[in-house]
Amino acid sequence: MAYKPQYGPGTSTVAENRRRQMNPDIELEKVREVTDEDVVLVLGHRAPGSAYPTAHPPLAEQQEPECPIRKIVEATEGAKAGDRVRYVQFVDSMYNGPSQPYQRTYTECYRFRGIDPGTLSGRQIVECRERDLEAYSKWLIETEMFDPALTSIRGATVHGHSLRLAEDGLMFDMLQRCILGEDGVVRYVKDQIGEPLDREVLVGKPQDDAWSKGKSTIFHSLVGESYRDDEEYIEYIVRVHTLRTKYGFMPTEE
Amino acid sequence: MGKIERSQKLFLSALKEKFEGQDQEAVKTTFYNFGGLKQSPRKREFMKAAKGIEMERGISMYDPEHCHLGGLPMGQRQLMTYEVSQSGVFVEGDDLHFVNNAAMQQFWDDIRRTVVVGMDLAHATLQKRLGKEVTPETINEYLHILNHAMPGAAVVQEHMVETHPGLVDDCYVKVFTGDDAMADDIEPQFLINIEKLFPAEQAEVLKKEVGKSIYQAIHIPTIVSRTCDGGTTSRWSAMQIGMSFIAAYRMCAGEAAVADLSYAAKHAGVSQMASILPARRARGPNEPGGIKFGVFSDIVQANRKYPNDPARASLEVVGAGTMLFDQIWLGSYMSGGVGFTQYATAAYTDNILDEYTYYGMDYLKDKYGYDFKNPNPDTIVAPTQDVVNDLATEVNLNAMEQYEQYPTMMEDHFGGSQRAGVMAAACGLTCSIGTGNSNAGLNGWYLSMLMHKEGWSRLGFFGYDLQDQCGSANSLSMEPDRGLMGELRGPNYPNYAMNVGHQGEYAAIVGGAHYGRNDAFCFDPLIKVTFADPSLSFDFAEPRREFAKGAIREFKPAGERSLIIPAR
Repeated sequence: MAYKPQYGPGTSTVAENRRRQMNPDIELEKVREVTDEDVVLVLGHRAPGSAYPTAHPPLAEQQEPECPIRKIVEATEGAKAGDRVRYVQFVDSMYNGPSQPYQRTYTECYRFRGIDPGTLSGRQIVECRERDLEAYSKWLIETEMFDPALTSIRGATVHGHSLRLAEDGLMFDMLQRCILGEDGVVRYVKDQIGEPLDREVLVGKPQDDAWSKGKSTIFHSLVGESYRDDEEYIEYIVRVHTLRTKYGFMPTEE
Repeated sequence: MGKIERSQKLFLSALKEKFEGQDQEAVKTTFYNFGGLKQSPRKREFMKAAKGIEMERGISMYDPEHCHLGGLPMGQRQLMTYEVSQSGVFVEGDDLHFVNNAAMQQFWDDIRRTVVVGMDLAHATLQKRLGKEVTPETINEYLHILNHAMPGAAVVQEHMVETHPGLVDDCYVKVFTGDDAMADDIEPQFLINIEKLFPAEQAEVLKKEVGKSIYQAIHIPTIVSRTCDGGTTSRWSAMQIGMSFIAAYRMCAGEAAVADLSYAAKHAGVSQMASILPARRARGPNEPGGIKFGVFSDIVQANRKYPNDPARASLEVVGAGTMLFDQIWLGSYMSGGVGFTQYATAAYTDNILDEYTYYGMDYLKDKYGYDFKNPNPDTIVAPTQDVVNDLATEVNLNAMEQYEQYPTMMEDHFGGSQRAGVMAAACGLTCSIGTGNSNAGLNGWYLSMLMHKEGWSRLGFFGYDLQDQCGSANSLSMEPDRGLMGELRGPNYPNYAMNVGHQGEYAAIVGGAHYGRNDAFCFDPLIKVTFADPSLSFDFAEPRREFAKGAIREFKPAGERSLIIPAR
């Protein structure tokens, strides 16, 4: 029988949203558009229009060793070109940010190739070849994985995910990399590491509360769905813990 | 599981003080208008002090308005104060950094400079090999000499240099025994009186454990263990013990029997506070990484003072343990960092962990009939997997909901590692106190971690990926190299050796298993008795209160050098 991923347990909307994000067979809704140059500016790794710095010559110009794995796994475009490895890091508000750190990692692992994600409580970083990174970042910004108010691209000084929201609804950012304009549009005025940009990068209007709640992938008893109410989810975790505990005894068949 | 009502929210008064005039349940607030660093009196004090130092030494120093993020100082949001839990004292975060807190330093100093040395081996040598008479009078005379010699004074040779008593006034030796008649014969100044210091039930057990033996509780000078290291303590102590025996019993300084006394004092009769660490950790005995959790729970004395509140007793261990293991051991010894202060303080400030733990106590009583105010081995709950799962699930869900319902509390514990440690500690303590089983407590910790991670799709920093996501499998295991009873685990236990926000809580979980049964001790009765001594510089029954005193600069430490330096 062919393996069919289940992506995760749960009967709640949160659980369903998590499965949707992870499942690569589902095309996520494109909510906004940003240009390739916008992405390059916010990432801050290279000047728009400049060539990709390389870590090694293109694979086609190298004498590749005889290796069965290389025949099975096709290199990504960035790897083929010899791009260096760079990163994008997201901060997700606990007040119904549409994606959350582990959720991002799981989703990226299902949908992207050639990545190295790192997951923390207040931020999630993913590293890969630079041109692949730009393509992935564009998708992460344009789709329902992103909310201009509740998601933020930050390389450093990331505190904010657990803080109350500012009066204008934006997640706290000590460096105020993005601001809410009078036109209601959120714009990045600094790149992810906090360097001022030559021009603003517009990422659209914040989603309304109903959208945020409907797309949320975090349980939250005050502003969203209560974890306790998804009994299937709780039961699944307890089962995993119990089985792992029993495994610790190294049981053997009599 | 099933939520229970608990109207008392222990954290609310702290939140109201910290976020004065604000709606604790509101999701929105204002930022960027607090005046940066200058909102904090302590930061202002630092800046002023640094200016003076720069003028004096001609080298730049603390300059946060220039150096922090290229000119963007901290304080774009409110720089909070913290209430040291159950002390009623509000302090600034900086005051809980161990460098700024003399009580925290003394806590560790008092452990590092302590060894326990039995007297029976020495007495046998004196009596059987040398034919000396050992009586209460000779023991008292020996102790008199030893309290002269231990701080660094000469007893045998002429024309010797000695230490200034004012610099080593924290150094002394007392003895204890389980033999009431012998205890009566020891001069009170030299006796740790088990009968008087412990509740009656605990005293009986401890006296039985100690038996007719006599043990010396030795505290070498703070200034010595600071200048040298924890490995010095047994050596310094043994040297003075040997010299004092020679003086008290008129022995020949060179005779071979002295070697027997030295061997007993240095090796055969010694209890170190911490075992030696492997070479890659590069620490000798009596350094923090070698303190077994069972020993640490005996060092902290809160269960002696609060025998009818195992939650309180355990929470004191959390405070003491996170300070030592996170702030000093991992924060500086191991990582070389400036101390993981805010990982640790989350567990002993603002009564947040306290509230979650007492919720667990109420749940134990409500669902299982275990009355934590009357801890008793006969009333504990059997530590089955179902019980652990139920307790940890309910306590963890409650904790998550409290963070959600009070956004200022979420903001207080702004880091996931803080929340993870606190929630898992509440779960672990509930399981260990209720079942009297430390490994059951550890197992509850790991269920909390898994549940937290899945609920909020986040946990702590990278390290939590290893330790907390495979911990279920080793928490009840006794397999060599992957399992051990909680009492014998410690900061250097394989999976525990690299991650802040865990070790202090684990120690408390181990302690809780015994406090929940009203045991007199967790692992070592000798260490339990040793740290009951009221003459110690630090009060080990109230570590959090002592840390608060240190924070407000009211704690008087030992080992000061003001006698021999110019007045400032």
